[in-house]
Amino acid sequence: MELLRKDPLREFAPQLERTSIQGYLWIVFLLAVIGLGIYAFFSQVFYGHEVTGMRDNVVWGVYIVNFIFFMGISYAGALISGTLHLFKTAWRKPIIRMAEFITIIALLIGPCFILLCIGRLDKLHYLVIFGRIQSPITWDVIAISTDIFGCFIFLYLSVLRDLAKLRDYELLQLPNWRKKLYKLLALGYTGTPEQKQRLNRASDIMAAMVIAIAIIVYSVLAWIFSVTLQPGWHSTIFGPYFVIAAVYSGSAVLILCMWIFRRIYHLEEYITKKHFVAVGVIMLVLAAFFGYFTFSDYLTKWYGSEKNDEMLIQLLFKEFYWPFIISNYIGVLLPLIVVGIAKFRTITNITITAIVVIIALWLNRYIIVVPTLESPYLPIQDSRPEWLNYTATWVEWSLTAAGVAVFALLFTLASKFITIVPVSGLHGEEHNEEAIV
Amino acid sequence: MKRVFAVSLIIVSIFFRPTFTRAGEQTDSTNIPVESRMALNYLCTTDSIILTATLSIRKGDFTLGLENAPVELTASNGTTINQLGKAKTDQEGNAVFKVPAAGLPSDKDGLVSYLAKFTGTDKYPEAEASFIAKPAKIKLSFNIEDSMRIMKVTAIQKNEKGEEIPIAKETVHIYVPRLFSLLKIGEISLEEDGTGTLEFPKEIVGDTLGNLVVIAKIEEHDQFGFIEGRNTINWGVPKQYYKAEVPSRELWTPIAPLWMIITLLVMLAGVWAHYVYAVYELVMIKRLSKKDKPIL
Repeated sequence: MELLRKDPLREFAPQLERTSIQGYLWIVFLLAVIGLGIYAFFSQVFYGHEVTGMRDNVVWGVYIVNFIFFMGISYAGALISGTLHLFKTAWRKPIIRMAEFITIIALLIGPCFILLCIGRLDKLHYLVIFGRIQSPITWDVIAISTDIFGCFIFLYLSVLRDLAKLRDYELLQLPNWRKKLYKLLALGYTGTPEQKQRLNRASDIMAAMVIAIAIIVYSVLAWIFSVTLQPGWHSTIFGPYFVIAAVYSGSAVLILCMWIFRRIYHLEEYITKKHFVAVGVIMLVLAAFFGYFTFSDYLTKWYGSEKNDEMLIQLLFKEFYWPFIISNYIGVLLPLIVVGIAKFRTITNITITAIVVIIALWLNRYIIVVPTLESPYLPIQDSRPEWLNYTATWVEWSLTAAGVAVFALLFTLASKFITIVPVSGLHGEEHNEEAIV
Repeated sequence: MKRVFAVSLIIVSIFFRPTFTRAGEQTDSTNIPVESRMALNYLCTTDSIILTATLSIRKGDFTLGLENAPVELTASNGTTINQLGKAKTDQEGNAVFKVPAAGLPSDKDGLVSYLAKFTGTDKYPEAEASFIAKPAKIKLSFNIEDSMRIMKVTAIQKNEKGEEIPIAKETVHIYVPRLFSLLKIGEISLEEDGTGTLEFPKEIVGDTLGNLVVIAKIEEHDQFGFIEGRNTINWGVPKQYYKAEVPSRELWTPIAPLWMIITLLVMLAGVWAHYVYAVYELVMIKRLSKKDKPIL
């Protein structure tokens, strides 16, 4: 009830108006990491892909793993925010914007990793000029670009009310250009019944669309693998498996973001244990689904005893033992235990579990991509021993770190531009503390 | 923000200092000494010896093949020196010499010493490389024995009298050329009489008539260097080109399957129609602001 008496915008104003010394140091640190990534990128451009661990045999490595990972958390953000919006879930308000930010920011970063995989960026436009509809790569290009547009529209619709509030809030001490920008972006929204009706209608439609697009787009990404005749990839289950893995990793990233912003902006009143438990329960359900799909996939491969599938499973249990165990055992069982058993269900435990899940799901993508490419159907000829196995180089790790840093930086800047918790309707008709799980 | 900008600028400038300057492009390149390097590759085929001299220059960390440089090749046995020819290097810095295996000056062990030499210019110092090897050859023959396809190799060297004698107890590697490289199909250990056999695999794909080029090699031998013999046999599986009667899903077909085009168009049209509708609603919200009274 205390919450209802407060003016949320007044409370959130400092996060928009000021940046602390720690905040600046954080930004400088992120820029330094991004600088390292730029250095690595230019090394790659000048000296070619030789500076990476990718070779003729293992043509995909950490870049494609990062691509799948970032696209996954993006689709998870879309699915979570879209679903919570459509079902008018009462507790969604304080966390839904983080889910929307995750969607957009991850969606901007993910495709960059694909560009890093391409050796001849100067011929990138050929993809459009000579693109064939028969190619799954073309499907992916069309799907991702469509998704980017959709997610931007959805995010814009979601923040429109807050932009109007920021425009009209006179106590906010911001530079003029920002006030003008709020005014421009608010589109003259004043909350008249007809404007509300139109905004709600558009938001509902786009929420449904982003859910559908997220499922289709991530399935398309999965089909790039599953339509390929490679051991471990050629599987009918890959579409739904990827979608589940995406939402699973995204729910973990959302929990981590909730924890970070709760601490930085002191949102303890808004993001409570109940929110962590609610998203934790989503993570638990997804962990169960993910475990089920993983087991189903490997069981059929192992029982089928096809020569190359057997070789691949042996490889997973030998050379990739720990990544396999972390991604498919620890990554599945930990959320079931921590969120499933009431006495373990604390904010810290759920956050630590989320971090483990993020690592596990990244490793899951790694053991989908690399071991398969290391065990092809055809024998590798005239290949040096160091070409048979993949090891990521400093260039790849630097660009990976830079990708994470860009994600964190954009998230930080976005939270400086618009409140990380939506202020419109926070204490209004849609907010109901009692309805929280 | 100014502080952030300044610090990031410093960081970026630190990262972007001279590391990216290639040695060949360095501003103070005059002080860096130029070094010429030569390598000599040897391959003895059935009827000739192919010697490839590769000339490169090194300046700092930068190595480049030297083009259009004259290279002279000689063969000697310690007392007699025969000039085998002169050639100019190509773009990669390679000068290729094909010399007949017969009539080369050899020492009492039958070894011939080859020397490739670049005499140098004002800009580039001289360089030379040598290779010592004994001429030898490998012959390939094919027979069907008890319905089995048997491939036989015979490796021969010459003694001091010029008589052919077998090369014994060596390993011969058997390959067939594929699109990008050689596919190894087996190994043969030579007997005392210099021969060895291999049951030829049945599933190797040849050309449309089933012809296969088979290559036998002794590689990196202390005495013989690299020896290679080739022969052609129609023991391959004839290659058959599949021609689809109707356009299918292959990338090289002129058009994608109709169901795929329809599915894609329907999905894209459905999605984009909703986007357009959402944007239309935004435009209407903007228009409404001009006539409605604010009640936020």
